[in-house]
Amino acid sequence: MHFKKNFNKSFNILLLRILIIFVFILVSFFIIIPLLPLFLKSFSDNKNNFIGLENFINYIQNPSLTQSFINSLKVAITTTFFSVLIGFIYAYALTRTRLPLKKFFNTFSLFSLYIPPLAVAIGLIYIFGKQGLITQGFFGTIPGFDINLYGFNGIIIGEIFYCFPQALIILVSALNLSDQRLYEAAESLKASPLRKFLTITLPNIKYGLMNSFFICFILSFTDFGVPKVVGGNFNVLATDIYKQVVGQQNFAMGATISIYLLVPSILAFLIDKNFRKNEASLISGKSIPFKPRKNLIVDSIMFIFCSLILILVIGVFSSIVLASLIKIWPYDISLSLQNFRFSNVAGNGYEPYFNTVFMSIYTAIFGTIFVFFTAYLVEKFKPLKKIRMLIYFFSTLPIAIPGLVLGLSYILFFNKPSFSVPFLDFQIFNPFSLLYGTMGILVLANIIHFFTVCFISATTTLKQIDKEFEEVSESLKVPFYKTFLRITIPLSLPTILEIGSYYFVNSMITVSAIIFLYPAKIPVSSVSIVNMDDAGDTASAAAMSTLIVLTSLFVRLIYEFTSRNVSKKSSVWINPLET
Amino acid sequence: MIKKEGSFKYLEIKNISKNFGETFVLKNIHLDVFKGEFLCLLGPSGCGKTTLLRIISGLERQTNGDIVQDGLLISNSPTEKRDFGIVFQSYALFPNLNAKQNIAYGLENKKINKKEIEKRTNNLLRLVGLEKYSDQFPSQLSGGQQQRVALARAMALSPGLLLLDEPLSALDAQVRSKLRNEIKLIQKKLNLTTIMVTHDQTEALSMADRVVVMERGHIAQIGTPFELYENPITPFVADFIGKMNLLKGKYDKKNCVFYYLNNRFLISQNTEYSFLENCLLGIRPEDIEIIKFRKNIEKEENILRVKIKEITYLGTIFRLTVVLESKLEENIFVDVISNQVISNNLKIGDFIDIKLKKEKIKLFESNL
Repeated sequence: MHFKKNFNKSFNILLLRILIIFVFILVSFFIIIPLLPLFLKSFSDNKNNFIGLENFINYIQNPSLTQSFINSLKVAITTTFFSVLIGFIYAYALTRTRLPLKKFFNTFSLFSLYIPPLAVAIGLIYIFGKQGLITQGFFGTIPGFDINLYGFNGIIIGEIFYCFPQALIILVSALNLSDQRLYEAAESLKASPLRKFLTITLPNIKYGLMNSFFICFILSFTDFGVPKVVGGNFNVLATDIYKQVVGQQNFAMGATISIYLLVPSILAFLIDKNFRKNEASLISGKSIPFKPRKNLIVDSIMFIFCSLILILVIGVFSSIVLASLIKIWPYDISLSLQNFRFSNVAGNGYEPYFNTVFMSIYTAIFGTIFVFFTAYLVEKFKPLKKIRMLIYFFSTLPIAIPGLVLGLSYILFFNKPSFSVPFLDFQIFNPFSLLYGTMGILVLANIIHFFTVCFISATTTLKQIDKEFEEVSESLKVPFYKTFLRITIPLSLPTILEIGSYYFVNSMITVSAIIFLYPAKIPVSSVSIVNMDDAGDTASAAAMSTLIVLTSLFVRLIYEFTSRNVSKKSSVWINPLET
Repeated sequence: MIKKEGSFKYLEIKNISKNFGETFVLKNIHLDVFKGEFLCLLGPSGCGKTTLLRIISGLERQTNGDIVQDGLLISNSPTEKRDFGIVFQSYALFPNLNAKQNIAYGLENKKINKKEIEKRTNNLLRLVGLEKYSDQFPSQLSGGQQQRVALARAMALSPGLLLLDEPLSALDAQVRSKLRNEIKLIQKKLNLTTIMVTHDQTEALSMADRVVVMERGHIAQIGTPFELYENPITPFVADFIGKMNLLKGKYDKKNCVFYYLNNRFLISQNTEYSFLENCLLGIRPEDIEIIKFRKNIEKEENILRVKIKEITYLGTIFRLTVVLESKLEENIFVDVISNQVISNNLKIGDFIDIKLKKEKIKLFESNL
């Protein structure tokens, strides 16, 4: 028997395949392929002759350079330990105790997310530096105390400031997933508080704990801003790369050190990924959130602890603002706005500031579109499974690529007008080289530098949206892109706004990814902070830092306001009938 | 029961198989669905019923085999080119669109003018009895109302085939039985060929013209609810549709006698069983009589003396769980009209005689 065949191939599926391949090519060229010239460079001298492992051997034989590697590890391990410890106690206080003024502590704990690590370091100088408030006993009013800021101590304090809120965010969300019923069951079985902690609390947050170890390790191992400002003679890998590339124009050694920086990061990344392979929530959808009971002793201890942390955070921020407003610290402590002129210094007036604001706006817009669309293609469709898995893997990788390494690899990749094909006398035009020397490359570097966090949060949101929406649309003959615009985007709007604001704030404060990349005609403010600090003009650096922090906070406020409106509007979709 | 004479095959499923790597989910499924028929795919979870439904819709692709819908070979057609509407267990209503917008979602994509869409949407709202709720968002509707919106949305493009994937299992019992009738009425009114997946045998029996009982990736039996209940062909079907006691023993074909331990049961001679020796005797709980107070038991056939282990009240009947003294772990279920239990004052621990109605006994091949 013969039947008429329904031959119509689907245009939509074809379109989908093309889009997935297109995104695959983009993420490959933006994330993976730029690393290749960096690897090649690490095996060549500065005249591009292949010299094998010579650079690596030179590095190991140079005691001052190897010392930096050990220093970086020391910094990373110490910072990770304290950041996770402080982050955990603070998160525990927020989620599992009746901490007074919880909302206040919650909001202000994340305050330091808006302060560039560079600015934290500058704030520390004004508190613990030679002329610092504490060191000099508040301009000599009380006995001073010197903590020997420049060097290991300063770096550790700065890095903890930088890393602790990151650990806090992860641990709060891990601790928030709790089930009151488990604790009630344990109580009915007469389990001690310690036993409950060890058998319920800890197993529930082990993935979050591991992840916060990983994040803190990578951030502190690779950070450039803090050691640059308060490192003194204590060299770390990140500052070494900077010195090699900017100071000595030794790109080959810069690339080599980058590899030393990259390998432990990737290793930590793989360990974390492997550990979380079996991640499954122990908390079911039916669980009842934990309701902490009053406990005067615990609550008071937590209150004191959290207050101390907040005082430090606010103290650092205030000292930055104060420093920017004081005429000549510590000799003329009258207030003035002269530091905000940026006219007499290495900076270029307000140009770097506005460049940075525009760069951050572009990053927020294009980054959000790109990251959300990538996550959407990876998460919602069936075709080309292997390619989608690769896109997913590539998208999670940038978190392990230090900003300096990304920046260096971008220079080496994007400044090439053409690629030569190995073994053939043939050149291919590099279309991406057109971005070199423009604002575009800064925006792209930022998009990729902060890609992973945004990608994961987009993926998580998309996962929560019923997969059957796409199937229903197919059955109703509605093409996927219409459903994307009409259903998926409105439902994801809160996350989309969150990603946009994350991109903006981080682009405002970042220095490492763009310090090698910024074109001379487009100065940016975080780099001018470095330059002003180098030139000894710390007050102007503090003023620029203040501007950055205030701008970030302002954008965050706009975000809070908008997202509140959005959630008010969408509450009718979400709230169940009973309410 | 519905006879299918005169109606034509609307959907033909030919030799469909599906495997994920080494594991078979579906194996050589053959199935014809007639125009206007309400067909249920019934089986325990993991039997492949949902996979079969998804293969029909094109949301899942078969490993082998063909599907013909209305004379058109659609085996490799993409979902969007197939002619069907679907209702999922979760309903998958778009939360940011109200009831009316949800129903109109598919229509708006077609080149139909706004008035026509409005008219069709209102008709559908009326059909499912939700005219008053057209502006409500899914979260403002009850489960049953959401289910109706999903149904209306699935029917908006006037599909030739309606697919229902466990559409009622998220609802509470009362709403469920009400909606059963409504769906059935709408389906008959529109003469809409419908395939419903369910694991609930009551639902299948009360709604379907024919039921396909599935077991581990193959079809165990196809038939009307009546046929399946009265003449199950495997012990699996027998016990899945309703309840059936299954006793393992030996069959003496020549004398039409079944031996169970020390007991012998006469089997109706008009039934031909081709298999020999080891097999299963099947009898439904309602086909067992209690003959506690009758005399001359010796003359009666197919009697067992048993001890009452449990008495469960099920409304109009009691279900007794009884055991033989020699085989305490093997439960036999007996359904007794409530009055009989009360008037005879049956208690746990009592010994009673039960009689298996000869004409109701089935024999099954034992694959154990």
